[in-house]
Formats: sequence, structure tokens, C-alpha cells
Amino acid sequence: MKSLWQDLRYGFRMLVQNPGFTAVAVLTLGLGIGANTAIFSVVNAVLLKPLSYANAERLTMAWENNLAKGWSSFAVSPANFLDWQKQNHVFDPLVAFLNSGFVLTGQGEPEMLSGMQTTDGFFRLTGVEPALGRAFRGEEFEAGKNRVVILSHALWQRRFEGSPEVLDKAVTFSGESYTVLGVMPKGYRIPQGADLLAPLTLTPDMLSHRGSHYLVAMGRLKPGVTLQQAQSEMSGIATALAKQYPNTNTGWNANLVPLYEEIVGEVRPALLALFAAVGFVLLIACGNVTNLLLARGASRQKEIALRAALGAGRIRIIRQLLTESMLLALAGGAIALLVGQWGVELLRALQPANLPRMQELGISSSVLLFTFALSLVTGLVFGSAPALLISRSSLSETLKEGGRGSGSGGRHRLKGALVIAQVALSLVLLVGAGLQIRSFLHLMEVDPGFDSTNVLTMGVSLPDTKYTDAERQTAFIQQALENLKALPGVKSAAAVSTVPLGDSDLIYSLVVEGRTVPKGQEPSANWYSVSPDYFQTLRIALVRGRVFTEHDDSTAKRVAVINESLARRIFPGEDPIGRQIRMGINSQAVREIVGIVKDVKHYALESRFTMQMYEPYRQQTRDSMVFLLRTDTDPASLTSAARRAIFSLDKEQPVSEARTLEELVSASASQRRFNTLLIGFFAVVALVLAAVGIYGVVAYSVAQRTHEIGVRMALGAQKRDVFSLVLRQGMVLVVTGVILGLAGAMALTRLISQLLFNVSALDAATFLSTPLLLAAVALLACYLPARRASRVDPMVALRYE
Amino acid sequence: MPTNASNQSLIRMEGLTKVFYTDEVETHALSGVHLEIRAGEYLSIAGPSGCGKSTLLSILGLLDSPTDGTYLLKEKPVQGLDMAERARIRNREIGFIFQSFNLIGDLTVFENVELPLTYRGTKSAERTKKANEALEKVGMAHRARHLPSQLSGGQQQRVAVARALVGDPMMLLADEPTGNLDSKNGDAVMELLRGLHRGGATICMVTHDPRFARHADRTVHLFDGRVVEETMEVVS
Ligand SMILES: Nc1ncnc2c1ncn2[C@@H]1O[C@H](COP(=O)(O)OP(=O)(O)OP(=O)(O)O)[C@@H](O)[C@H]1O
Ligand SMILES: [Mg+2]
Repeated sequence: MKSLWQDLRYGFRMLVQNPGFTAVAVLTLGLGIGANTAIFSVVNAVLLKPLSYANAERLTMAWENNLAKGWSSFAVSPANFLDWQKQNHVFDPLVAFLNSGFVLTGQGEPEMLSGMQTTDGFFRLTGVEPALGRAFRGEEFEAGKNRVVILSHALWQRRFEGSPEVLDKAVTFSGESYTVLGVMPKGYRIPQGADLLAPLTLTPDMLSHRGSHYLVAMGRLKPGVTLQQAQSEMSGIATALAKQYPNTNTGWNANLVPLYEEIVGEVRPALLALFAAVGFVLLIACGNVTNLLLARGASRQKEIALRAALGAGRIRIIRQLLTESMLLALAGGAIALLVGQWGVELLRALQPANLPRMQELGISSSVLLFTFALSLVTGLVFGSAPALLISRSSLSETLKEGGRGSGSGGRHRLKGALVIAQVALSLVLLVGAGLQIRSFLHLMEVDPGFDSTNVLTMGVSLPDTKYTDAERQTAFIQQALENLKALPGVKSAAAVSTVPLGDSDLIYSLVVEGRTVPKGQEPSANWYSVSPDYFQTLRIALVRGRVFTEHDDSTAKRVAVINESLARRIFPGEDPIGRQIRMGINSQAVREIVGIVKDVKHYALESRFTMQMYEPYRQQTRDSMVFLLRTDTDPASLTSAARRAIFSLDKEQPVSEARTLEELVSASASQRRFNTLLIGFFAVVALVLAAVGIYGVVAYSVAQRTHEIGVRMALGAQKRDVFSLVLRQGMVLVVTGVILGLAGAMALTRLISQLLFNVSALDAATFLSTPLLLAAVALLACYLPARRASRVDPMVALRYE
Repeated sequence: MPTNASNQSLIRMEGLTKVFYTDEVETHALSGVHLEIRAGEYLSIAGPSGCGKSTLLSILGLLDSPTDGTYLLKEKPVQGLDMAERARIRNREIGFIFQSFNLIGDLTVFENVELPLTYRGTKSAERTKKANEALEKVGMAHRARHLPSQLSGGQQQRVAVARALVGDPMMLLADEPTGNLDSKNGDAVMELLRGLHRGGATICMVTHDPRFARHADRTVHLFDGRVVEETMEVVS
């Protein structure tokens, strides 16, 4: 114990006495460990931290699925949900959710709030209780008694000044009076980040459409019930329902997904890839510190030999050296916390849109523990090889005069191996980053099929309490469009039922008149209700026939426009124009196809082209519509004018935040941009560290070989001979590393192939260009020492060491 | 008369000076040296420590440049040659033998010997032939695959001699070639140089040892950077 204290004190003194060495090593380690701290804090918040619900591991999403159509997790129809709820014995409770807008009125400017309606059991499901007031009672789920809400803490603070008097008071939503029953705890996030909770009452009308899927269901597995047991029971129920209701349920099954999987499943591969990337960066940094230790070890030979001569055993010397490494690593870990904190703030600023649970991001105690443990492991990784080598040579070599024997040979080999490993690791990272960057570039080049420049979007959700029928809804939309078109700077205005690139689409079954298709095998297509100018406003090209006109109203013959994919797949070798179709299995309304337009990526940039069909909004409207304005100039500058144009129609009608279509395009790429940016950054850091490593090893070797180089020059070597000698020495290591790195990359990029977009995991361009980039940087790193070597004075050949 | 002397003057130095400037201290290592070396001559340079022997040799070998004076190599002035040209001459015309052997530790005996040939772009087959011949001459052919560290000092110096003569230089320069050797090994190396001289080589050697100086045709004595005396050996 006492000797350990001695080791520590001595080690500390050594580090203080070599401030340059210590600073470089600690900074390198601080950056390397700090990057890991930052990414680990994300991994911890997103993947590792238990969900903030009691017994969260038993919470399970209950989706429908239809594998024949390629839908693995699909919303549940209300009637199916009710049957699931009644028939299952595995969940307690099983709850349905429906996200719906609540327009807060009677309190200044109307505001569109996001409400989460749930069936009875939400509080039992989540194990959370309101902090203020009370939960819903059973009878409050009955029609007529369900005008009650529970507020999120944030909404309560923002709109109700955090006053407890809000309880049992009447609040007006869309002109209807609601009672506030309670307020959720501070920091508690209602699913989907909604502003309030409200009871969901499954009305007879909702239950009559078994084929309409729009509920999200979540259940808590009863104690002792496994996921497999639950899945097989739910599948049994779904199969029975399909027999009972072949019209609507053929092909549909139930799919249970643990809540944790549901939340993180999609982002896990990207996060793990990032985690691996920072791990690589740290390993490369370790390589540099090992090199520093080896270089310094050479100059400490005497001191170590003296210790040995004074009777210190090899173990003791190794312990001394390792103690110093540990001190370095811990100092690096301290810096790492600063770097990590800074990194976490940077990550927050980058705001990865689709990364869940980011609000839980921070340097928590587990992040601290991770950093501490990683520092110790890092100290062992970079410190043990030098300790072993330096302690070994001290015993045998130094006492012999002029010993430049096997001990330093081992050191040379280790240095060479380090450079090779650093190059290989950084190449793997570069290839990974290259693939990500190419994916991102491909995504940027994606032609969504519409022209996104100079388009402003804003949405309205018309409350059915006020706009009670289709006629009133269309009248509002029509009037709003006229107001918008009249604005100066607006070229054209249109409306569509779902916002482009908004990660949402409505899907309907498609029935072609005169064809019989087996039950459950009806094709499905994305459906949009649009105003006549929609295609012109988004510059979606008409291929054949016509688009809608002002005459396609509710009194006229019902018409539809389809896209090329639909025409190709449903009407191969036929002319779709003039054909009759129905949308929705039970729909009686027959539409005639009047036109074919180009395919559009409406759901997301990364999605594939799907079958799409359009209807004129005056024949089939929706209560929520999105306006699109094509403008002459910067579309954002028209925001307030456009909002006013809509408010002038109805002062109580909120308008959703206006966004330009280009913002939506950019948001659609944001997750990929985030990943690309991070992995690209880490690859650059790795490249720089590897270059420093190469430079260090080559420069050190040149310094060691000055005499030899002098001899070579005395023997008549030209500058270029010496130059290429050094360059070759470095580049042999680099090329070896590149070959190993390419092999490693080929093996590893497979693992991230699902993260790529339109790029093969073995993309030739990436596998060719990144080694070239790496080699060019490595060449630069070798160039400086090589130039120094070529300037060695041949006179040094005459000096003896 | 020296057996190998001819009238052709290989090297002529006139009024050669060398001044080293360090920390505002001027060291006059050579002050006005006149020296002539003829082809085939065996010259030894003697004098007390610090008198400028090594400095003279390094200037002779184009490792260093004089501060003043003229140096004609084969009647051509050496001043004004660029680095590349000087390296070329070191490589083709001069063979160095150093006191501390200066073999390159990472290269085998054979590779050390062929090194000067690589620097002049000799083809591999010819390099092998010449290197083997040179090793043969110094009696080290059987150790061609060894590393220098596996040889004794005397053996290393013999390899160094082979490396110096492998490229058929005009002149061999040796700075105390036996300085790091015991007398037996020293004798052997000296015998080797003598043999080479008999074969026609021009040799210029710095040595402290009067026994070896006697092998030379002529000895130049340096003192304080000046040639103070020349003695001729009569070779029997
Ligand atoms: N690079 C240098 N810088 C400064 N002074 C030098 C340098 N090289 C040699 N000298 C000085 O020049 C003088 C001659 O040195 P030189 O090495 O030629 O002596 P030497 O005759 O070879 O001596 P020794 O017999 O000890 O080898 C000495 O005073 C030495 O200190
Ligand atoms: Mg000398």
C-alpha cells in the first residue's frame, strides 16, 4: 500500500516534470474519451436508461399487420380493438390512443393543441397519476360525459399560469366546454409529446368501419405472461376475426412489439454504429499515446536501469510505469468530462429530429461511471505494451554499451504495428463515413417529383363541431384558397389532405369496377384530396388526360387522378383513363379516372414510389387540410400575410405553423444529416489522429536514424534516395494498414447496410476514394520527416554516438 | 620510389582553410593547407588530436566544403558543385572507411556492400556480382547473409572496406580505420588496405599509429591546421 502511494507520487512528479508530453497525452486522451462520453450519454439516454414507466418491460405495442401488403406495424381499427380488448387474457389493461387536435379558444388567439385521447386504463397502463386533481373515471368514457381533459404540466404553466384554480373550471375547445380534471406531473411527457389527455369514446360510427385503421394500441402484459404467449393468443384472436369478417379482415393479423423496441428499434443500429465509431477514434488515440510512451521510454532507459540496479523487480517497474499511465488516463478522463459536456450540448443543438428520448440526455451518474471505467481501461490499453517492453529492455540492454538490440527492435515492431492498426481503423471509419455521405448526397439528389422551391405550407384542422358537414368544410377551404391567391406575391395556391414529406399518408383499398379480387387481396394506394391547382402549384407533371378543374364539385360526376405507378401496376397494357374505381372496400361511390400524373414522394424522401390516387376536395374533403402557396419570392416572407388571410375567415380557427416546402425537404433528411455529420466528424478526427500517429512514428524514426542517414549520404545517396527511403518506410506501414482496413471495412459495412440509402455496402467509389484520401494524408504526414531526413548533413556520418 | 606512383595528379589543394563558427568562437581547423595526391598513391595523414585530420579528410571526401582555397579533383575545381553533383562524386569516385565502421544495422552484410551501387542505379545482377567480388576480396563472402551485429569488430571493418571499394572508386578515404579495433584485427585491416594499394588503389588514411603510417608511400604531418612535414617511406 505504501509502495503504491510512492508509485503515485513518483508518477505524478514525472508527469509534472514533462509538461509538454503530459499535455499532449492528456489532451489526446481527453478528446478520445470525451467523444465516447458524449456518444455514450446518447446511448445511455436512448437505449440503456429504463423507460420512465413502472414495469416498463411489460408494456407492449399491439399493432395490426398485413404482411401480404408489406405492412408490419399498422394502426388498429376501432372494431378490432374492441374485440381484442374483450377477448384477450394476456393484457391488463389494453388501451387505445388517438392523437387529435384540440383548438383552445376563448383565451385570446386560438391555439391548436395536440391532444392524446385514450380509452379507459391509461393510468393503470403507465402507472402515472396526475400531480394535481384526479384521473378519468370510468363513466367519463361514455358519450356525453367525456368533455374532460387532463393537462400536461407544460401546458398548464404556459396557458394557465400554473394556477391550481384551473381545476374543475370550464375550458373551451373548438367552442365546446371541457372540464379540467387534473395536471400531469412536472417532467412527465404524454405520449407523442401531446399537450393534454382526453377520454377516447369509441362511437357506433367508428365501430361500424372495421376496415379503417387509425388507433394506436398499447397493453401491459399480465404478470407471468411472456411476449410469445401474448403474441400467439392475439394472433389466434386476429385469425378468428379474419374468418368472422372476411371482407375487412382477410390478411390481417396482430403484431406485438415491446414498447422499448418500438421506441428505440429504429435508431439503435445508427447509434451503435456511432458508438463503434467513437470507440475506433479512442483506439487510434491510444495508439498515439502508446507511441509517446515508447518514445519517452527510450529516453528513460537510464533511470529505469538504475531502478533495476537498485533492486526493483520487473513487476515493480511495470507497476510504476502503469501507475503513470493510469494517472495520465484519469487526467484524460477529467478532460473528457468537459469534452463530453460540450459534446452533449452540441448534440442537443443539432437536434436530431427523430431521435427519441433526447430530453433525457445529459451527463448522469452512469455516464460518469462509464467515463471513469473507460479511462481505466484506456490506461491499460495504451500503457501495458510500453510498460512490458520498457521494463524488459531495461534489464538486459542498457547495461551493455551501445545496445541497439532486440529490445528496441520490439519497440520498432510495436510502433509499426500501431501505425498499421491506426491506419486500418481510420480507414474503416472513413469508408463508413464515405458510405453515409454518399447516402446523404443521394438523398439530396432525390427528385421527389415536385418542385419544392418557393412554396409555403400551413395547415388547418376544422373542428367538426363548427364545420359540421362537408359543405361547410369545402366552403371554408375554397374561400381560404381565394383569399390566399389574392395575396400579392402568390402565384398559385392549393390544398391537400396530408402535408408532403410529413411521414404520414392515408391508405385506401382500391377496387376496380368489373374485376373480382379475392378478399383481402385488394391493392392499396395512398389517397389524397386536393384542390384543382394542386398539381400546377407543386409542378407535378400531367402525363395523360386531365387534372381537376373547378367544375369537379359535389354535383358533378365523381372523378379521380392516378399516378404512373398505379397505372402501371393496376392497368398493365390497358388504358386507365375512363376506368371506374372505388376507394375503400365498402365504398359505394364510383369514380372515373380522368388523368395520370407523375409519381411523387409524398411520405418521405427515402420512401419508394408508391401507388397514389387523388380526388377533388369538393367531392371528398377532409377536416384537416394543408395549404400550399407558390410564391414569386422567399415564401417565408408571406407567412403572416397568409395567416391573416385565413384568420379573416374565422377568428377562432388556428393555423398550424407555416413552413416552407424546402424546410420540409430538409427535415425529411435531418436524421440522416445528423448521422452523417457525426460519423463524418469522427472519421475526420480519426484521420487526423492517424496522421499524427504516422508523423510521430516516422519523425521519431528519422531522428533515431540520423546517423544512418548521414552514412548513406556519405556513401553517395542523393536527397531523393533518402527522401524515398523515409517515405517508403512510412508508406509500407500505411499500405499494410490500408489493406487490412479495406478487409475490415468489407466485413463491417455489411452491418450498416440498413443505414445506407441507394448505396451498396461495398460501394466501389467509396472503397476506392477513401483509401486514396487516407494515403494522401499519410503521404503528407511522411513528407515532413522525409524532407527533414533529406537535409541531414552527411558530416554526421563522421560523428560517433 | 613508390611503386604505384604516377605523375597524374588526382587531387590538388592550395591554400585550403576551414573555419568553424560556433557560439561566436572561431575554430581554424585548417589554415592554408597545400596537398597533392597522385593516382595510385598511399598517403597517410598524422598529427595530434584536434589538428584537423578529420576535417581535411571530410573535405577531401566532399562531405564538407572548405572556407577558402582551391580544391581540384582530377583538375576540376570542386567549389560550386551542387549537392546532387557532390553526392554523385562521393558515390562514384570515393570510398569511405570510418573508424566506427558505420555499417547499417538493419541491412545484411551483403546489402551494406551493395548499397553504394544502388545509389548509382546499377542493375541487380551486376550489383550481386560486384558485391560478392568485393566481399571475396576482404574474405567476408561467407558472412554475406549476416547482420553487422553478428560480426566482430574486425569483421565489420572488413565489410566496411568491401563497401568502400565495391564501386571501384578513384580513391579510398579512411579515418583511423583501426581506431576501434584491437591490434590483431587492426593489423588484418591494414594488411587488407596494403593489398588493395598493391592492386593499384589510391588510399588516403588518417592514423595515429606510426606502425601503420609506415605502410604508406608518404605521410603528411598536420599541426594546428597546417602541413608541417612530409615524410616518404621507402618501400622495400
Ligand atoms: N563541426 C565542428 N564545429 C566546430 N568545430 C569543429 C567541428 N569539427 C571540428 N572542429 C574543430 O576543428 C578542429 C579540428 O578537428 P578535427 O576533427 O579535424 O581534428 P582531428 O585531427 O581529426 O582530431 P582527432 O585526432 O581527435 O580525431 C578541432 O579543434 C575541432 O574542435
Ligand atoms: Mg579525427
